[in-house]
Amino acid sequence: MKIIISKTFERFRSAISNTALIFQRELHLLLSDLGVTILLLIVPVVYPFLYSLIYYPEVVRDLPVAVVDLSQTADSRAFIRKLNATPDLDIRYENISMEEAAEKFRKRENRGIILIPETYSSDLALGRQAVVSLYADMEFFLYYKAMVMGAGLVSIEEGNDIQVKRLLNAGLSERQAEVFSNPFVISGSAIANPAGGFASYGIPAALMLIIQQTLVLAIGIMAGTARERHKMGTLIPCDLRRMGTLRMVMGKSAAYFFIYAVMSFYMLGAIPAWFGYPDKAGFCQLVALIVPYLLSAIFFGLSLSVFFKNRETPMLLYLFLSLPLLFLSGIIWPLSNMSPVWQAVRSIFPSSHAMLGYIKMNSLGADISETSHEIAMLWKLTAFYFMTACLVYKTQIAKVKKLVLNAGGEQNETIPAL
Amino acid sequence: MPMACLPESSLEPNPDQIMNNKFKALIDVSAREINRMTSRPLYFLAVVILPLLSLLFFVSLMKEGVPVKLPIAVVDYDHTALSAKFRRTIDATPGSSVVMTPATEHEALSELRKGNIYGYVVLPHNLQAEIMNGTQPVVRFYYQNGLLIAGGLIQNDLTVTLHTLSAGVNKQKREAMGQDVPSVYAAIQPVKPEAHLLFNPETSYPVYVTSIMLPIMLQIFILMITVYSIGIEIKERTSREWLRISGKSVAVALTGKLLPYTAIFFILTMFSNFLLFRVLVIPLNTGIIYLVLLSLLYVLAYQAIAVFFVGLLPMMRHSLNLAAFYGILALTLCGFSFPIEHMPEVFRLWAEAFPVRHYMHIFQSQILAGFDFVYAAPSYLKFMLFLLLPFAVIYRLKSALIYQNFIEKIQITDAALAVVSEKSHIQ
Repeated sequence: MKIIISKTFERFRSAISNTALIFQRELHLLLSDLGVTILLLIVPVVYPFLYSLIYYPEVVRDLPVAVVDLSQTADSRAFIRKLNATPDLDIRYENISMEEAAEKFRKRENRGIILIPETYSSDLALGRQAVVSLYADMEFFLYYKAMVMGAGLVSIEEGNDIQVKRLLNAGLSERQAEVFSNPFVISGSAIANPAGGFASYGIPAALMLIIQQTLVLAIGIMAGTARERHKMGTLIPCDLRRMGTLRMVMGKSAAYFFIYAVMSFYMLGAIPAWFGYPDKAGFCQLVALIVPYLLSAIFFGLSLSVFFKNRETPMLLYLFLSLPLLFLSGIIWPLSNMSPVWQAVRSIFPSSHAMLGYIKMNSLGADISETSHEIAMLWKLTAFYFMTACLVYKTQIAKVKKLVLNAGGEQNETIPAL
Repeated sequence: MPMACLPESSLEPNPDQIMNNKFKALIDVSAREINRMTSRPLYFLAVVILPLLSLLFFVSLMKEGVPVKLPIAVVDYDHTALSAKFRRTIDATPGSSVVMTPATEHEALSELRKGNIYGYVVLPHNLQAEIMNGTQPVVRFYYQNGLLIAGGLIQNDLTVTLHTLSAGVNKQKREAMGQDVPSVYAAIQPVKPEAHLLFNPETSYPVYVTSIMLPIMLQIFILMITVYSIGIEIKERTSREWLRISGKSVAVALTGKLLPYTAIFFILTMFSNFLLFRVLVIPLNTGIIYLVLLSLLYVLAYQAIAVFFVGLLPMMRHSLNLAAFYGILALTLCGFSFPIEHMPEVFRLWAEAFPVRHYMHIFQSQILAGFDFVYAAPSYLKFMLFLLLPFAVIYRLKSALIYQNFIEKIQITDAALAVVSEKSHIQ
């Protein structure tokens, strides 16, 4: 009995020490490889900064537009004054013809044209509806939005003023006229990101994606490099001391987890605080989301790493996925309008759930129960990819063992652990 | 400089022979490259399969145009005929669909946080009564602006719908007073805005996004595979053999090597054009010849940039990192997510260094809007400038190919020694 206990204890001790050895070795390898160090430590530090600077203005204001005023009356000038007052639009050109405005548009000197018809004033006088045409540039969604929302709201406001004025002339009291033209008051408010800032919307999601992408690339590069280094192109070294699937997977994962746990403080704590991005999520909520996310991303990377035969392969075969993953996350394209096929593809990537979950927690202030779907999915993926990672390493270890045994005496020089 | 250092300097043949030899060398190099490409599945994946899948992904994801029927909720505290009518009208709009009617605002907010809805409308107590007696109740709506596109669509949709409902009440009152219908509209909404998309009313925004995403995906593959195909010769020390087959001319070596890729990526670019103009039926408002020219320039410009990267950093791991950084940044700096004009000055200049930015301009101005060539001419000119980039690094690249002095240290030694030597190298 005593022997069994001490034997189990001995096995346990060796497992722990071997795992620790793999952890230590992996950490050393990671940090002594310049390319991987850049990927793990520099990219997550630099990208958020760079993107924050690029998107620094956050919102599109003062869109340069031309106003073609064919009416040239007091009424039309009143309308133009109102247009000028909106922060969305900046009237660059007034009193020009439609041809000139279109020419300037071609030269990109204005990004939209507002056409006030010749009949504007007379329409209003005769009680007909005056139609103002907005020609919007589609180059950027934000331009289109600025133009349509800016000019659209001015038209509604101006129309309202005219209506109230008429009702006043018809003998109604001010209050009556107001109630008549607006039977009820409409009040719209944004939940999260009230200014509609682009950085506040895009960067937190991008941060989450960067975590997964750099992790998978780094794991892939390490795997490719390992294959190049090892004598027989195997994924793991010919060192019998480290032959244990669980030890291998756990030891390696621990190294990546350690680095990313530290990086997460910077990416999810410091960056939002410095640049004023939403930070409604509490520490516990972030931990609840980040732990399964890191684990699932690491195991996902380890599982994929079997396909990367060379150091460069992950860059060639995996990097491009960053852009489709951004669109699949549900941040850009609404999930409700995604086909079931793409929904299914989406759900196998840890980043999709983490990005959406992070936006929910951080921008909307959702708590853990309201993010339970994402967190549950991340744990499921963690379990699934843990199994695939173990499977991958088990077959690789079996391969190495076979190679070593077959090689016999002359090839038996096992490579010393670092 | 490196020419003189070549150990085997050849005799000078006559000019005709030089041309013939060069042409033959070119064919040989291309044949050698095609042989290399078919030797590993990696090339087939990175040059054909993955680019094709990416193109099809973006085309199928957004082919339906503007997202419709986004799920929203209505919180009805009133429970009258009028509030029911409001709910039905909101549900009937093309942009949103009422998927639930939670009892309280708190519940609606929670549903929004769970991601089940993108917005909700609150119809207050006594809505009908207060409208009738003219005390102007407040109808509030909320939209999830953490997701900018869905939030923007909901905001727009609900603003319009609620104004229409307001006008409907107004209209009923006026009709009750005996006004006739056309003048009712004019009285309710004296100024009506009508939005047109300039010069291209048929195209919806998501389709337009697709038209930019396809070339952005292709440029990543062009950059990466071009850097790889050159860098691997240095890494695996086959560059001298490569150069020997090309008659010791870097120009021939590069042209011959990249020609097969140019052909494949040109076909892929034309296929993406086919997807855009035939499958998504974006109107093509210019001659097809410009489309062909633009596609060819696009592929060549990115190949030139990739050659420049390898010349700059002949060690492949570094040039691949640089290409990856540049390729991913194109999404941001081509300016379609956020307008370049609104970025800080330095990024405006930086954006000029991305061919996809100029591609986008030509695409919008000449191909979508059908403006004359002159308006797009400056962008074509900038495309030409990218083609000059390889000449800046040609000597550096040649010496790297000959001396192979950018070999990664790990490659030289054996497994165990590699780790040790790398360790001592770092310390």
